[in-house]
Amino acid sequence: MRGKEYMSVARGEATGAAGQAKAAAAKPAAKPAEPQPEPKAPEYKHIGKPTRRVDGREVVTGRAKFTQDVKLQGMLIGKILRSPHAAAEVVSIDLAPALALPGVMAALKLAEGKVRYAGQQVAAVAAVDERTAEKALALVKVDYRTLPYVVDWERARDAAAPQVRDDKPNVEKLNEYSRGDVEKGFAEADVVVEATYRTGVEIHHPTETHGSVAAWEGDHLVVYDSTQNIHGVRDGLARALKVPAPSVTVIKDYMGGGFGSKLSLGDYSVVAADLARQAGRPVKVLLSRRDNAVCVGYRPSSHQTYKVGAKKDGTLVAFSLLNYASGGTAPGDDVAEPVVDVYKCPNCKVEEHTVFTNVGAQRAMRAPGNTQGAFGLEGVMDELAAALDMDPLELRRKNYSTKNQGDTGLPYSTKGLDKCYEQGAKAIGWERRNRRPGERSGTGTVRRGLGVATSIWWGAGVPGTLADVVLYPDMSVEVVCGTQDIGCGTRTHMAVVAAETLGLEPKEITIKLGNTEFPWAPLSGGSLTTPSVAPAVRDAALKAAERLKAVAAARLKVESGDVVMGGRKFSSKTDPAKSASFAEVYRDLRRETSFHGERGGMPGDRYAFNTFGAHFAEVEVDVETGRVRVLKYVAAQDSGQIVNKLTAESQVVGGVTQGLSAGLFEERVLDDATGNVVNPNLRDYKIATSLDIPEIKPIFVDVFDPRINNLGTKGLGEPARVPSSAAIANAVFNAIGVHVREIPMTPPRVLAALKRKESAS
Amino acid sequence: MREFRIAEPRTADELAALLNETREPVALMAGGTDLIDELKSGVEKAGLVVDLRKVEGLAGIAREKDGLRIGAMTRVAELAEDAAVARDFPSLRQAALSLATPQLRNVGTVGGNLCQRPRCWYYRDPQVVCRKKGGFNCFAYQGRNKYHAIFGGDSCFIVYPSDLAPALISLGAKAAIGTAKGDQAMPLEQFYILPEVDVTRENTLAKGQFLKSVWVPAPKAGQRSAYVKLKERGTWDFALVSAAVSGVVKDGLIAEIAIVMGGVAPIPWRLKKAEDVLLGKPPSEAAVRQAADEALKDASPLRENGYKADLVFAALKEAVLAIAP
Repeated sequence: MRGKEYMSVARGEATGAAGQAKAAAAKPAAKPAEPQPEPKAPEYKHIGKPTRRVDGREVVTGRAKFTQDVKLQGMLIGKILRSPHAAAEVVSIDLAPALALPGVMAALKLAEGKVRYAGQQVAAVAAVDERTAEKALALVKVDYRTLPYVVDWERARDAAAPQVRDDKPNVEKLNEYSRGDVEKGFAEADVVVEATYRTGVEIHHPTETHGSVAAWEGDHLVVYDSTQNIHGVRDGLARALKVPAPSVTVIKDYMGGGFGSKLSLGDYSVVAADLARQAGRPVKVLLSRRDNAVCVGYRPSSHQTYKVGAKKDGTLVAFSLLNYASGGTAPGDDVAEPVVDVYKCPNCKVEEHTVFTNVGAQRAMRAPGNTQGAFGLEGVMDELAAALDMDPLELRRKNYSTKNQGDTGLPYSTKGLDKCYEQGAKAIGWERRNRRPGERSGTGTVRRGLGVATSIWWGAGVPGTLADVVLYPDMSVEVVCGTQDIGCGTRTHMAVVAAETLGLEPKEITIKLGNTEFPWAPLSGGSLTTPSVAPAVRDAALKAAERLKAVAAARLKVESGDVVMGGRKFSSKTDPAKSASFAEVYRDLRRETSFHGERGGMPGDRYAFNTFGAHFAEVEVDVETGRVRVLKYVAAQDSGQIVNKLTAESQVVGGVTQGLSAGLFEERVLDDATGNVVNPNLRDYKIATSLDIPEIKPIFVDVFDPRINNLGTKGLGEPARVPSSAAIANAVFNAIGVHVREIPMTPPRVLAALKRKESAS
Repeated sequence: MREFRIAEPRTADELAALLNETREPVALMAGGTDLIDELKSGVEKAGLVVDLRKVEGLAGIAREKDGLRIGAMTRVAELAEDAAVARDFPSLRQAALSLATPQLRNVGTVGGNLCQRPRCWYYRDPQVVCRKKGGFNCFAYQGRNKYHAIFGGDSCFIVYPSDLAPALISLGAKAAIGTAKGDQAMPLEQFYILPEVDVTRENTLAKGQFLKSVWVPAPKAGQRSAYVKLKERGTWDFALVSAAVSGVVKDGLIAEIAIVMGGVAPIPWRLKKAEDVLLGKPPSEAAVRQAADEALKDASPLRENGYKADLVFAALKEAVLAIAP
């Protein structure tokens, strides 16, 4: 369910989840358009330039209000009791001893029948303070009958393994794809390479843990929620509580990250609302750091076996992929998009299976599927390049495609990947790489290497996104949109677009967002916030500017077509002596005036809309200790028109850092004997520290897409994450002459890979 | 968090008397950087927490005629910044700078570091009752044991996580133990005990006792030392394997050497066999290879920690080569 909703929105299609979004991506028409020469982007004053965050002061001075900061009068603290067992029958739950404790105001039974993973919610209490709530949780009496379980996905494939779900076996087909004839393709190949690449489980671990504050005002529910999807949470709560959607308001002011783990309604939000209803008082439920490791998702594991065939000159002739993904009680991620779509290859066959285990369900994590897929595909491309004795970058260019290779076959509206390759290679100094992987480079026990990897993602935005611009006679300008700023700088880009269009400065614009009472916008995931919201704001602001020109024309007694805006005034083109200041014209509006903007459609029936990127890493590897250090990193992105260069660079640095961290350190460790996660904390689940992060240089290749929306802008959040672990892994390959083929590339794995190389030679 | 009482004695005598009298489980709190976590998670079940921060005379570094005395309540950051430590005991300074993060070093103490509880993830899980907590099984033995012991494990396969302990032991440090009957001194090496002696604790401290200070003998002529810590990430990481080496190289040959490894055993692990191999040899890669191979004959890796054998060699090599003049 998660995957479908998320991915369809990510691909910019109008779906049920997209609510009021209008259909834009219709079925492909018979005649796809031919790629055309790229028009240039207009000259802007603010758009594409670095603008400091309009809310930066609020955040760094601690005034910004996060869900964790919300305190309401009479508010209770809710706590959730979770199953210690990976599989058990809940025989009985006795809340009475907890309810008898003074200060406990409400309690709920949450589990019925079976629990299927350690960490699943069983009961909840609300009490006057945290200590009382914790004591009460300990008093809840739960009688479990433990059942056999399996948390290791490889063991879960055995016929003898305990069945995780009642409705299906542990292994289920996830995805199938085929074009051409792979057997024929491999027969024609001069070189065939086959290898298996594994990715471990990466946990979102946002700085701000999940949480919700629920308050009933009569029949109306107000929920402060740490979410990437206020409208989705509202609709979900309305369904769960059986109340009409307009009776629920969801507010999210500031948020400390989500990375995909806060894309839909959380069960803790329902618990908060139910406890609040029972107690007749507001209730706050905050999850713990431990909860983040057991019950709010993660990037599922993958086990990808690739076979690739090529001609001597590097022309690809066949690809096959067999993947086993595991996402606990939920399906894993489909990782096939990169192999199906990145390179021109006539024959391609994919088979993917998911393996269920007694582990909490996965949730979408920053570029789900493509990130794992890029690690595998880009790894096998480099191993193929080595087998062909070819420059890995040359191999990628050789098989460059200008149209979708998958189901639609449509030409890309724009594709700046070639520019990403060119500018990125120049910035990293690609000529410094080892000509052959593992050729001696560096001194002593340290080897150096360079690697490249390619990114493909969606991120076109959602047609139908709404935003209002409100002009006030005192020259105030307000932009209102029911989107949410999950930390990426949405407030700032909205201000930049409105200021650009109205001839003002970004700091003069008042931004209102994060409330379901505001005009509809989609969830903030799938790299779609900017390409959905910015065009809607632009549309509203353009309408506002037109009105202002008409008002100025009346004051100047000229035709409104004769009015131009500039230098904070409106003037007549034909008689520049005639002009009116902004203040005068806004005053002439006489009352506040709203302008409704909408993100329009795009010709999805004739063009494919994607984002691209090429990442380059330089690493050093100590062949005695197995330690990898990243020395330098260049990330070249094609995300169309950049709206705010400063926050865009932050997005890229964040995406690279996350990929570095997942590539070298991060891994959830499960224990089959206890059925539990053994590292549910930030000491043993290791995230990159400041000492691990090198110089990261973002490059935007500035390709302007005239068809995608009125600003030519595309998404960026996920494209910056897709190839980052892969580029580092390929750099390690270039350094030591053997591909580690598994992330995170910890010292034991690097040392094992070196031994594999030794025994092969 | 469980409820507990807190006591704040003002003198070492008051502290010793309090520890002697009390009938309930006690936890001594120095910097509290780790104890607070243990109390919160419920792994530490003390009814009385004794805060040592107000006890007079436990903090500070003092030059004594024949060595350096480091009070148990000396903050790790002070140790790392001390000029005498930097000059006479480079390995101790390197160990101090390698541990935790600047924030933790500003609060954490030398005594707390030397008496910390293990980081084994089964021990730290409040739901797991392992041998260390009075249960019957070591869950790491057949479970997830990437970070566990390759030497000295028996009924329990923790590694002792301190960075300061291997450095101090290699420098010949002695521990001063406070008791109600006065102070006792013992080599720091003997302060730590293996699981086979008592699986529920990591040192000899009995009821009523506390670590008061450590004393490091003044360096011998030509003594050099080094601490090499191999970890996964750049900072805030315990050692996968660490090597503390102190010795004297005379006329190109190793005349004296002490090697203590961290991250490989339930206690700081003296590599006596490697010392014996290296004595009389030049500090070279070949000699270290031979020494490591000899020492590693005693290793019994578990399913996921065999790589530590490679790291023993790598850490030892770097540390031994560093003491060559």
